[in-house]
Parts: sequence; C-alpha cells; structure tokens
Amino acid sequence: MKELLGNRKAVMLFVLPALFIYLFSVFIPILWSAAYSLYRGMPGLSFEFNGLNNYVKMWSDTMFIGSFTVTLKYVLIVVAGQVGLGFLLSLMFVFGIKKYTTLVRTLVFFPVVLPVVAVGQLFSKIVEISPQYGLLNSLLATIGLDSLVQPWLGQSSTALGVLCTMDIWTAMGFYAVIFYAALVEIPQDIIEAARIDGASGIKLTSKIILPLLRPITMTCFIFSFTGTLKVFESALALTRGGPGVSTKTLSMYMYDASFLYSQYGYGSAIAVFVLLECFFVSVVLNRFFKSRMM
Amino acid sequence: MRAFKGMKVLGFVILVCCLHVNLFAGGQADENTIQFLSIWAEDKDNSKLLLELTEEYKKENPDFNLEFELVAAENLRQKVKVLVASDSVPDVFVYEAGKPIVELIDGGILLDMEKTFTDLGLMDTLDPGAVSLLKRLADNRGLYDLPLGMNVEGIWYNKKMFADLGLDVPETWSELMDVCEVLHQNGIQPFTAGGKDKWPITRVINMYVMRRMGVDAMERGSKGEISFTDPGFVEAGHVIQDMVRKGYFGEGIVTVDMSSAADALFSGQAAMFYNGSWFTQDLNDTERNLLGPDGVGFFNIPVVEGGVGKLDDYSVNCGNILVLSAKAYDEELTGEWLKYVFSRFGDYAMETTGTFKGFKVSNMPDNVPTYTRIVGEELAKVNNAGLWFEASMDDKTTQVAQNFAQSLFNLEMTPEQYFEEIEKSSKEYREKN
Amino acid sequence: MLVSYNQRRNIKRTAIRILVILFLFVQMYPVLWMLMAAFKSPGDMTSLPAYALPTELYFKNFSTAWTTGRMSIFFRNSLIVTISSLFFIVFFSSTTSFALIKMKWKGQQLIASLFLMGIMVPVTIVLLPLFQIYMKLGLLNTYWSLIITYTGFGLSLSIFLISNYMRSMPDDIIEAAFIDGCNLYSLFFRIIVPLIKNALVTVVIIQFFFRWNDLIFSMTFISRTSMKTIQTGLMYFSDEYGSKNWGAIFAAISMGVTPTLLLYIVLNKFVIEGMTSGAVKG
Repeated sequence: MKELLGNRKAVMLFVLPALFIYLFSVFIPILWSAAYSLYRGMPGLSFEFNGLNNYVKMWSDTMFIGSFTVTLKYVLIVVAGQVGLGFLLSLMFVFGIKKYTTLVRTLVFFPVVLPVVAVGQLFSKIVEISPQYGLLNSLLATIGLDSLVQPWLGQSSTALGVLCTMDIWTAMGFYAVIFYAALVEIPQDIIEAARIDGASGIKLTSKIILPLLRPITMTCFIFSFTGTLKVFESALALTRGGPGVSTKTLSMYMYDASFLYSQYGYGSAIAVFVLLECFFVSVVLNRFFKSRMM
Repeated sequence: MRAFKGMKVLGFVILVCCLHVNLFAGGQADENTIQFLSIWAEDKDNSKLLLELTEEYKKENPDFNLEFELVAAENLRQKVKVLVASDSVPDVFVYEAGKPIVELIDGGILLDMEKTFTDLGLMDTLDPGAVSLLKRLADNRGLYDLPLGMNVEGIWYNKKMFADLGLDVPETWSELMDVCEVLHQNGIQPFTAGGKDKWPITRVINMYVMRRMGVDAMERGSKGEISFTDPGFVEAGHVIQDMVRKGYFGEGIVTVDMSSAADALFSGQAAMFYNGSWFTQDLNDTERNLLGPDGVGFFNIPVVEGGVGKLDDYSVNCGNILVLSAKAYDEELTGEWLKYVFSRFGDYAMETTGTFKGFKVSNMPDNVPTYTRIVGEELAKVNNAGLWFEASMDDKTTQVAQNFAQSLFNLEMTPEQYFEEIEKSSKEYREKN
Repeated sequence: MLVSYNQRRNIKRTAIRILVILFLFVQMYPVLWMLMAAFKSPGDMTSLPAYALPTELYFKNFSTAWTTGRMSIFFRNSLIVTISSLFFIVFFSSTTSFALIKMKWKGQQLIASLFLMGIMVPVTIVLLPLFQIYMKLGLLNTYWSLIITYTGFGLSLSIFLISNYMRSMPDDIIEAAFIDGCNLYSLFFRIIVPLIKNALVTVVIIQFFFRWNDLIFSMTFISRTSMKTIQTGLMYFSDEYGSKNWGAIFAAISMGVTPTLLLYIVLNKFVIEGMTSGAVKG
C-alpha cells in the first residue's frame, strides 16, 4: 500500500496542474511585486531603485501607522465575532432547534452571498440619520431613547463599530456552516456517551466538542484573520475610510499609495508587509493549536 | 458514484461550452481601430455624444472603427495607472484635470493638444475661457487635454421655501447666515451636502475661502506663496463649524452621499445645496426632481464683507477631461476623426443635450430647459474664475484635505489642525519636488 | 413535578421559537430590503424612509437594469467564466488535497504551505503584474484571463477546506479499497470523491459566490463590453459626480444574486443528503 500511495507519477498528475496554475497566477505576481517594492515611483512614469527604503519609510509614515492601528482593532473585534458567533450558531443548528435547522441554515448564509455594495448600502441606510432617520435611529427615538440617536457613521467613536458589526454579521453564517459541517461529522455515540456520563451544556461543549473541533477551529481562525487583515471592499462600501481616517484600513492605504499617489513601489511594500503579517499570524495560530493538541 | 457521474457530466458540459464559445475570443484590434476609454456608459453623457458623432463619421469612412471601454469613475485612476505602467494607454481616454494629468504630461504620455489642434485647424472651435482654465489646471505646461464640460458652481435653492418665508436671494455672507437662521427657526434644514463623498464638503469650505481670500488663494497656498495656516483659511474653518454647530447642515452631514443630498433638496428636506452645473441632469429628471422644472433656483456664492472676492467671481471647472496618447497618435487615423468630431462637438452637445462643453456654440437653440438656460446665463457672467479646493494640490494633499474635511465637519478637528495638516502635506510635496 | 417539567419545556420551546423568528428576521431583512428597494420608483427613494414599503411596484428598474446594464451579455459571460473556473477549482483542489493528505512523497509539507500562502495574498497587489503577464501572452480580453486567475485564487482556500476534511477520513477505507484491487485512480474517483461530497459542495458554494462577485479582476483584464462580467454592469448606474440610480442598482443586484441563492438552496439539499448517508455508514 505504501508503494501505491507513493506513486510519483500519480502525485505529479494530481498536483502539477494545480501547482502550475497557482504559481502562474498567484505566486509569480507576488514575487514580481516584491521586486517592485524595492523601487520608488510608478512604472511607466518614473521608477528608480530604492533598496529597502520603502520598508524603513513605513515606520515614520503617520498615515501608515494610523491605518495599521485601525486594521488591528478591526481584526481583533471581527475575528472574535465571526468565529465566536459562527460557532454558537452551529451549536444552535445541531442542538437547539433541530426542527428548523434546514431553514435556518439556508437563511443564515444569505448575507454571505450578497454583494458587498448592497450590504454596505443596507447598513448605511440602517444607521442613517440624515436626511431621514434609518431603522436604528427611528427605533431608538420610538422607544424614547432620543439621547442615543446619533450619526453612527459620522463620528470616529462609532464608525468602526458599525463596520465591525456589518462584517461580523455578513460572515458569521459562513463560519457557522463550516463548523456545522464538522459538528455533524462527530459520531453521535461520542456525544451520547458523554451525555450518559452526565456532561451537558457548557461542559459538553468545552470538554468534548471543542477539542474535537480543534482543526476546524484553527481553519476558521486563519480564514478570519487573513480575510480581515486584507479588509478593503466592505470599508470602502460603507464608509470610504471616513469620517476622517477613522476607518481607513491598511489595504485601502495600499491602494491609494499604489494607484492614486503613484507610489507603486511603496504600495507594493505595504502589500508585502500585509502578506508577512498574515503569514506570521498563521504560523503563530498553527503553533498554538498544535501545542494545545498534544 | 453519483458524484463521479455528476463530475463527468459537468466535465462534458464544460467541454462543449469551450468548443461552443471560443474562450480565446478577442485578440488584437486591427490598424483602423482606435480605443476609447470612458467613464460614461455608451448611452450617457459625453460617451453618447462622442459615439453618435463617430457613427456619423463612420458613414463616410466605413473602415474606421472605435472600440469603446467603460470603467467606473472611481476606478479610472487605477485603470489608467495599470495601462501606463504596461505602456499600453488607449488612443483616447477620459482623465482628471489638475495634478493627475500633470503627472502624465511630465511622463511624456500625452499628446500636445495645442499643436495637434492648430495643425488640424481646430483651435477656433475651443472656447478661450476653457482653454485658459485647462492650461491653468495643467500648471501652465500647455494644452494637453480637451474639455468635456464647462461648469459653474454655486448654491441651488428651493424657490418655494424662500418665497413662503419671504426670503430674498442673499448677496453677502451675513445675509446668507440670516437666511439660514430664518429657515432653521422654521424647522427647515438650511443646507445639505454630500459629506460622505468628501469632495462636496471641501467645496463648501472653498466657498468662504474664495470670497475671503480671492479666487487664487488655494493655488498660492499650494505654491507656498502663502501658508494654509493664514488667518483667512482658518476663519473659513471656523465659519463652517459655526454653521454645523447651529444645525445649518442638519445631523451627521458627513454620512450623507451625493445622491441622498440631491434627494433631500428635491423632497424639501433641505433648502439649499452647493453643487455644480452638472447637477442640471438630475434637475431635468422629472421623476427625481419633485420640485418640478422651475422649482429650483441658483445663486452665486455671497460675498464676504471685507473679503477680496466679488460677485462675478465664479467657481468653475471642466469636470473630467479628454486626453490622447502621444505614442499612439496617427494623424491620418485619429487626426481625421478628431477633425470631424470636434468641429461639431460644441453645437451637437447643445443641440441634443443642452449642455456646455467648453467648445464654442454657434447656434443656440431656442427652447432649452430652464435649468440649462440658468447655467448659460451664469456662465456668461463669469469674470474671474476660481478653481475648486483641491485643484492645485498633489494627490496626497488632496486626500488629506478631503478625509479631514469630514473631521472638520463633525467637529472632531479644529480649523487650526485641519489647515495645519494641509500645510504640512503640501510643504512635504514641495520639498520633494 | 411532571406539570412543571412540561411547563418548563413549553416555555423553553416558545423562547426558542421567538429567538428563531427574530434571528430569521435579522437574516432575511437585507434580502427583503433589497427587493423593496429594487421596486421603488425614484420618487419613493427620495421621499420615503429606507425601510418603508414602495407605494407602487416600479418594474422599470428591472428593465433599466436589464437593458442599460446589458445584463443578458454579462450574465452569459459570468456564467461561462464562473462555471469553468469552478470546475477547475473543484477538480484540481480535490486531486491536490488527496496527494497532500493521503499520499506519501517528498516535499509534501513545502507544497502544502505554498498553497496555504495563497489565502493571504491581497488581491490589489497582483493586478499590475498579472496584467503585464496577460498582455505579453495576448490573453487580455479573453475568458481565459479570468478563468486562470479565478482558479489560481480559488485553489488555496479550497485545498485548505478539502484537506481538512480528508484528514479526518480514516485510512482503512483506502486500505480496504486496495485489498479489493482498486488502483489509485479508481480509488480516488470511485471512493474518495463520493466521500468528500460535503466538502466539495461547500467549496462550490463559496467559490461560486467569490468568483461571481468579482469586479476588480474583470475590470482590469477585460476592456471589451461584449466580454465583461455581471458585476461590471453596476457601473452603468452611477455618474462622475456620485449621483446614483439606486433603484436600478438594486434591481441589478437582485437579478445578479439569484443564481447564487438558487445554487445554495439546491446544494443545501445535497449537504443534508450527504449527511444522512454518512450517518447510515457510521
């Protein structure tokens, strides 16, 4: 059997086409960009070798540091929300509401498939204050909480919160479905056995289910981290980085630098930084989950 | 088993698709084709005009072909930068005036339009006012672009509201403030603005700057002749913040986008709206403009007492502009097309859409919509032209000015801090170049 | 004792029901809202609050979206590139995952992490290099430019998902198959693929959604109107000064979202089927 599974011709046949496409469309462009990150200016206009200066310059660029901070805050909140709520939802599908599972599971996925433009517009309408109160503000006004009526997207203190809520709400169904797929794979007898031993509720979840779900939990965390570190479209659709620069993320700044300021080299350097950041987080997460598994 | 069968079927379907639809469809354009990159759909605005004229041209030159490409206005810069970096700019494309085009001029990308139009004998078709505006926007490097619009900006207001409250059109800033106060007392939000889109509110700041410091204040600031931290600029910030505090912009103005702001005016939720004359296309839309074909009036920015600006100083702009690739230009192909299309462009635009394009109009049609007529009258009154707030700024300073305008309008930043940021960024750019 | 137990159960049941309904509302609201917005006339958009029902059903948004947004052409193009790339993604990522997880060879780890890296790549950064590559190869304005890119970018996530799923699969199945005289290829197609159906369905749904909603690649690589994809259709409804025809935009989005929703609803059934068969097996 070892021989059969070590068949080199089969490995090549199975892996090479995918590897070729992947290298061609993802990996080579990345290396290409990494090379660009050593230049200053814009190819086609003025482009000169700059060594590692772009990577040094970052740390004295207030815009870079500002958007980096915004991104970090956003990532921490959204990752916790997406993975946490996703997990809770999946528990609900399996244990809480057996009867309606199919319906709920179908519906929870709806926001995932809506285009970002639509979701952004929806949320800005929900929290709208002018020219008309949106759903949230009208609701607050109706139940007498007028003092809480505020321009949610118009002030730095709340804009990021709305953005986080939106992205948690959009993606939690995705994580719920992933968790759900893993949950139903857990053999019923393990759970029954635990139940007979008297485990239920929180204890059952933390002692039996979570350890069994460790690989998928890691997957979810890595998805969520890498997805949120790159956040671009949702912030653009909801706030365009405003008010001021309070929701301006690293990816948005990268886009601006590359295509608006004509500092393509600098933009590439930021992109490489984002990539390294993702890589670092993944390695750390991997280590963490592996060590806990022992 | 079933999945495997399903996969086979899917594979077969795709194979058939591949054979049926040539996945390599496309290929290279032939030599009689010029490419045109635009931000308006084929049946809208300038694209419509240019494509219709091209159709006429094609009747006499059946071999000629124009390949149209649409890109969203907000992605125009990215698209063009990718094309520039890959040395494949289209023959003709729409771009932005000011620093964006200066950069392309300096990179040797763009065709010298003054020379080209002189060679083709087309120089006379251009409106001299537009030409000097474009040259000024290109930082006096010459004429490298063609105007696609000629707009005045000012305040559009709900005529009925003004009449009901017995309000006259204000001519001075303090009269304007009185008008605002009366409206506000009567439960009407005086101003609306597209604060979410950022640029519309820097224009509101510019209203005051232009009147207090004169039409060239921003340009002098960008050149470093005066500092953006001068009292006149800061005063503008204070005036605006006062208006915000008094509720003249309603609540959360930085969350309102341009469309909603226009709708607020149309539905009577706000009385005034600072906007350019491109707004006429929304005003002429009878389904959207609930105030009707005569319900909205226009007045120029009131003068500031003790300020430099006068009532015949207008804030003007040409919107997006048209440029040609220097490398791809071919006198026989592109030149002949230019000659046909642009000798008729000004008249054709006025005749079919009632808009001014920065080209001379020789035949003024008799019955134009009210709003178009208003714009024509105002354009005729322009004595000194002022540019918009960011026109003379580099790209980064533009972003600084626009982003933090929101912070100024939601009172999270003081006027001093705001202009400090602009000065800092502007100075950094001057020192680098 | 019995009564109070029953009461408690009833209360619990009602509470759950209320929660479910509330939850359903929160999840359904955007879709309802989108449809509502799609049926609003410009006048309704102007004068009604966003959550109010339209005063009349304004179908013109849909006809505007269909004709102005050139939906019929764009729909076809999107279907071609999405389905083709989906096929490649599903096929290649399942073969690769199998080789990475169940087979034994040198360099496995390296290749696995190489693929994993792909989920971290910010899309904007590959635009310029890819554009230049496609230009040199003459692939601009072809379906292939999109199919290749979509496949490349879809692989990482899909391999990741399928690998995880395969890892939990017991090796005795493979052993048994070999004893029965299966060769590697028939093992893969006849035994493995049916077993990972759940994962494949998940991949199909997620990838369909990502590829279907792509704007930035198709905008960069495709310049010809006849070759553009569905999301570019949305560009037709906003102008240079930020004025937007929201009614038509939402009509276009509603139409554009339909295939994804249908696909999900149909495939969701398969997931349940796969589950029950799994239970029988277990």
